[in-house]
Amino acid sequence: MVDAARQPKIDVRTYTEVESVEGFVGNFKVTLREKAKHVLADRCNGCGDCARVCPIEVPNYYEMNLAPRKAVYIPMSQSVPLVYTVDLDACIHCYKCVEACGPLKAIDFSQEDKYVQEDIGAIVVATGFGHFDPSVMEEYGYGRFPNVITSMEMERLNNSAGLTAGNLIRPSDRKNPQKLAFINCVGSRDKRYNPGCSNFCCMYSIKNAVLLKQMYPNVDITIYYMDIRTPSKGYEEFYDRAREMGIHFVQGRPSLITEDEETHNLFVHSEDISLGRVIEKEYDMVMLNQAAVPQPDQNHMSSVLNVVQSPGGWFMEYHPKLRPIDSPTDGIFFAGACQGPKDIPASVAAGSAAASRASRILHSEKWEIEPIVAVVWPDRCSATTKGRACGLCVKACPYGAVVIDGDKAAEIITAKCHGCGGCVAECPEDAITQMHYTDAQILSQIRALLADKPEEKILAFRCQWCSYGGADLAGTSHFEYTANERGLRVMCSARMDSDFIYEAYRLGAGAVLYSGCHPQDCHYITGQKVGAKRADRLKKMFERMNMTDGRFRVEWISAAEGDKYARVLNEMQMTLDNMSPEELRDEIERLKPDMEKRLKRFPGVPGVSEAMDYSDTLVDAILKAKETS
Amino acid sequence: MSDLPNETNNNEEELRIGVYICHCGSNIAGVIDPEEVVKFAEGLPDVVRATDTLYACADSGQRLIKEDIEKFKLNRVVVSACSVRMHEPTFRGAVAEAGLNPFLMEMANIREQCTWAHGHDREGALQKSMDLTAAAVAKTRFLTTLDMIDVPVTKKALVIGGGVAGITASLDLAEQGIETILVEKEPTIGGVMSQLNKTFPTMDCSI
Repeated sequence: MVDAARQPKIDVRTYTEVESVEGFVGNFKVTLREKAKHVLADRCNGCGDCARVCPIEVPNYYEMNLAPRKAVYIPMSQSVPLVYTVDLDACIHCYKCVEACGPLKAIDFSQEDKYVQEDIGAIVVATGFGHFDPSVMEEYGYGRFPNVITSMEMERLNNSAGLTAGNLIRPSDRKNPQKLAFINCVGSRDKRYNPGCSNFCCMYSIKNAVLLKQMYPNVDITIYYMDIRTPSKGYEEFYDRAREMGIHFVQGRPSLITEDEETHNLFVHSEDISLGRVIEKEYDMVMLNQAAVPQPDQNHMSSVLNVVQSPGGWFMEYHPKLRPIDSPTDGIFFAGACQGPKDIPASVAAGSAAASRASRILHSEKWEIEPIVAVVWPDRCSATTKGRACGLCVKACPYGAVVIDGDKAAEIITAKCHGCGGCVAECPEDAITQMHYTDAQILSQIRALLADKPEEKILAFRCQWCSYGGADLAGTSHFEYTANERGLRVMCSARMDSDFIYEAYRLGAGAVLYSGCHPQDCHYITGQKVGAKRADRLKKMFERMNMTDGRFRVEWISAAEGDKYARVLNEMQMTLDNMSPEELRDEIERLKPDMEKRLKRFPGVPGVSEAMDYSDTLVDAILKAKETS
Repeated sequence: MSDLPNETNNNEEELRIGVYICHCGSNIAGVIDPEEVVKFAEGLPDVVRATDTLYACADSGQRLIKEDIEKFKLNRVVVSACSVRMHEPTFRGAVAEAGLNPFLMEMANIREQCTWAHGHDREGALQKSMDLTAAAVAKTRFLTTLDMIDVPVTKKALVIGGGVAGITASLDLAEQGIETILVEKEPTIGGVMSQLNKTFPTMDCSI
């Protein structure tokens, strides 16, 4: 902690939140909100005279709310930086602190939150984890029975720097407890709350038990566990040591804690698997090893950073095995438990790993990004053909990369374009194309995918960042789904041009899936919204055409939702299975003229008519090759 | 930056497409017969070379593609293998080493999005592998050469969160000479670790 404060290259900004992150790798623009401390950092010497005279006491979060702090406070004596903060929510404005501070004049009630913009090349996200609140588990009585506490509360009670100076007392009578129990997996490995393992709690409860046994050799300590998980270096040996010290281990998950109303002693009801029977034991105090859960503001941070969350809410890495530190956004990296529960050595390792990944970029003079940008054909823009630019492209762009200057054709500022393709699909004149995802390229892919028995096929449009990743995860997890799916990747759902959908139905596709990220996860800020609006329009139109419900599906599927991808595809297959072949064929034929009408202008798009000619040859070749192979 | 994509595409030259079907050991070949897909691909327009390979991503697989580019004068490459999230950079690199623009390589995902998801339907998986390969071939027909875009780099890092992971990342960055802003929402850095008494397994102090 002090090392960080001392290191001249580190600018520590506490009491500060990240408001927004814009830009891209090497060129992020970050807005920080430096919350008003009402204390001037360069004048405060940390003497604490202000807190001593402050008449207000409120619970201190740092002491797990077991001890009070003043309205002007530092959370702990070793705070870094050693600068006091005035909590205005608690303050009664008596200004005794100002008086006590005297000539230092460090307290300044006129201070306001400050918004600061910073240019940043790379970002490391190390927002950590939160603690599961066990009061929702009524069976353990946390919050009702004073002597049932969480293990984080225990940390502060046996800590020499804590509220009791390390003298372990129990809350009900402040006596030193003699019989203690720890319960593991509280809220973790529990399908009601968090199915996952919290990773470090086994070692954590053993640590606390060993610590107490060292401090109070005569106390009787029992750990209730489901499995003991000690896979890292030196951990199993540590567990052995705990057993040798006489700490009891009971395999069984307690089902109930009851309390003696007079003594406030507790009775833990549990199965003991090694005895093969149900036991009930009395304790002075019980510690609940609560699950590690995502931070309460993790959803908010996920939107600020535009990063995806895994099931359960943790931040999701680009690839769980091969790029475990990278977020899906180039230039943003994860460190520590914000990705999932990690113990201290793993968090430190991840911190170093994230620094290393980030420094690849920060040590480079320039960084390469993909040239998948939009390009305008000026002679097709309505500014040229009709004398007035319609401006839909400008509206679709989340980055302000499309500009219309007077009566001139729309223009793309390449350095600002991130390549979502929203402007391309929105342009009613088909005057914009996207490098590497041109209409001609996508059309010929559609034709190839629907060459053979199109009525049996489900054409699935997926965005590169989320739903393509979801489809990958379905496969990696071996979630089986219909092999009639034919996937097609574009960068963003914003690129999924209505013409592609019409073309798929014109060719006789059985069903079409229009999928992308959830709105808050979009890699292109608001690209998904552009795609979603169009999808909604298409959906309503197909409804009006009496298309069978389910033949056009719009689904937002994150890279973490492999199960959802598989489920949606299987449901779409069921839609097709529920129609008789004649019924489906009739519907396809009935809708075809409408699709053709809507596609009238499509062959006029540069490259498309050539792609159509080519596709005719290709489709023949595909059918022939399938016959002979 | 490249010029505008030519409206009638830039394929004045004769197209020569090479198609590589990866076994990925038994990950793909355990469900479908890659040779069937090879035979199929041979029948597609402009495909002058189609073959299977045990591991396309291995040195031997990449070497095969690179040598073929020269031997068969390939100007487009299709690799039917795994996810682009896995190996697109690998194969772009391989074709670039052989002198081909990396954006003239296209992948078909016949592992994550085919054999791994359709183990229950081998014939379906085979048909899908063929169609995905054909779609990749179709796309290459209209691919154009592209150059990566260089962007400048601001040599400053932001670390969000002042717990043990954030502090470590900040120190590592700073010790490499990188200006680092360490942001913490609470009045002190330290995070959960600073609240702990001793830490396992060495029982040393946490601050």
